[in-house]
Amino acid sequence: MIAYLTNLAALAAIFGILASTLNVAVGYAGIFSVAHAVFFGVGAYAGAQIALVLVPDALLAMLVAGLISGALSLCLALPALRVRGEYFVAASLGLQMMATTLFSEWKSVTGGIGGLTGIPRPHVFGVEVGTLPLALAALGLILLATAALMRGAFGRTLRSIRDAESAAEALGKNVAAAKALAVAFACAGAGVAGALFALHMQFVNVESFNLDQSVLIMAMVIIGGTGTLLGPLVGAVILLSLPAGLAFLPFIPATEVGAVQQMVYGLAMTLLMIFRPAGLVGDLSRGKSMA
Amino acid sequence: MSAPVLVCEGLSRSFGGVKAVAGVSLALPAGQVTALVGPNGAGKTTVFNLITGNLRADAGSAMLRGRSIMGLKPHQVARMGVARSFQDLRLFTHMSVRDNVQSATETSAWFWQPGGAAARRAREAATEEALARTGLTDLAEARAIDLAYAERKFLSMARILAARAGIWLLDEPASGLDLASRLRFGALLKEARAQGVAICLIEHNLDVVTELADRIAFLDQGQVLAEGEPQAILKDPKLAAIYFGDRGEAA
Repeated sequence: MIAYLTNLAALAAIFGILASTLNVAVGYAGIFSVAHAVFFGVGAYAGAQIALVLVPDALLAMLVAGLISGALSLCLALPALRVRGEYFVAASLGLQMMATTLFSEWKSVTGGIGGLTGIPRPHVFGVEVGTLPLALAALGLILLATAALMRGAFGRTLRSIRDAESAAEALGKNVAAAKALAVAFACAGAGVAGALFALHMQFVNVESFNLDQSVLIMAMVIIGGTGTLLGPLVGAVILLSLPAGLAFLPFIPATEVGAVQQMVYGLAMTLLMIFRPAGLVGDLSRGKSMA
Repeated sequence: MSAPVLVCEGLSRSFGGVKAVAGVSLALPAGQVTALVGPNGAGKTTVFNLITGNLRADAGSAMLRGRSIMGLKPHQVARMGVARSFQDLRLFTHMSVRDNVQSATETSAWFWQPGGAAARRAREAATEEALARTGLTDLAEARAIDLAYAERKFLSMARILAARAGIWLLDEPASGLDLASRLRFGALLKEARAQGVAICLIEHNLDVVTELADRIAFLDQGQVLAEGEPQAILKDPKLAAIYFGDRGEAA
């Protein structure tokens, strides 16, 4: 039971990082990306390869994974961010689909559909450590950095772009650069989460980095509360505990848990958008119709 | 009259077959208020959009203190000292009043602003001064979306004040204001004019224009039909006929 809970907690911390970083793009900058799992995947493969080929050093794996994911997102964000709103959603959807194909086909790096197996357990300075403390530490650092950035000028810039992009431009803000930076920060975080995920699971394949995963991360942000520091974390914990919780309910057959889970997600999202459009932790007056 | 800070010559822009702006020339001197007056659809806001880089001109030039600003992006034009307001305000609705204003002082898109603590204090001082001058200090923590209409208008002005720009392009800044607010707005504008700001405003309320404008440029169908002292322009019966929509009589 302890092992089970530790595993769940480590996954919650990893998905907490994913949801918190996506929230920087979605909640603060208003950039709706449904490709967050792509950068999670890039980080996971990068981290796994570092551990497999070089050393199973968790810090090195997280650093390299974060850098690669962040840099790659910048290359993609700069052209993609020229389009606004729903067009960016479509562009990110296209990216997600391309990446899923690439992850399944680029066998030398990703191991194809079968994925990468036998990833060694994480070490820090040569000593084997559990993923939970690593993930919690990374989550804590990312939350601190996010809080500091969002309270300051950069957060104001992103929120101003979210609320009125043309007015932000008219006040001298380079909107494209600020958005690209927000995306790079978010995707670097996803890369760090990916490396942790690879070291934690000791196995990665494309299944964890597809569109379903991107939608799940987005759901965590929206359910928890966009534009809040702790909302995405709450969303991540709830959506990860849900399948576990449902599995314990005696009247749901084990084979049906997946279907019930989808129904509960859907129902929860719909009810939430009606009664708490800004999410569980979000500001109550946000998102509601003014009529 | 001092030398113009911003000089536009022959600005033109068509949308499909429609000439929205056709050869507009305009000069904005420091310390003067120029009003763009004309019927709806005359091309007034389009002129602003051409100056600020929100629209590309098909032809013509715009020089800011002798430097061309044609082809620059809106944020680059803004950084050169051109501030604008929008008819629909475009406030940062879910941010506090103070954050709205402070955001106008922060132009770097980087994770932090340049200049260290001294620059930060200067930005904060500019924010507080803009809040005080627009009477918004007591509402600084309220969200923009929760403000009454007149306060929203003043918040839009506070952002411009905090940006410390030398040129203001104001799109119907006094529309919908009650008399008391209009007087406050007038005082704000006169103060800026006295400080040497070159102001151009689009305004439909001719009382406001008479009270505040030093010069009027009368626009119709994308062209400047007349330019001069307010009294002379507003008394011209032909222009009045165009303005009030009676083209048959004007022709």
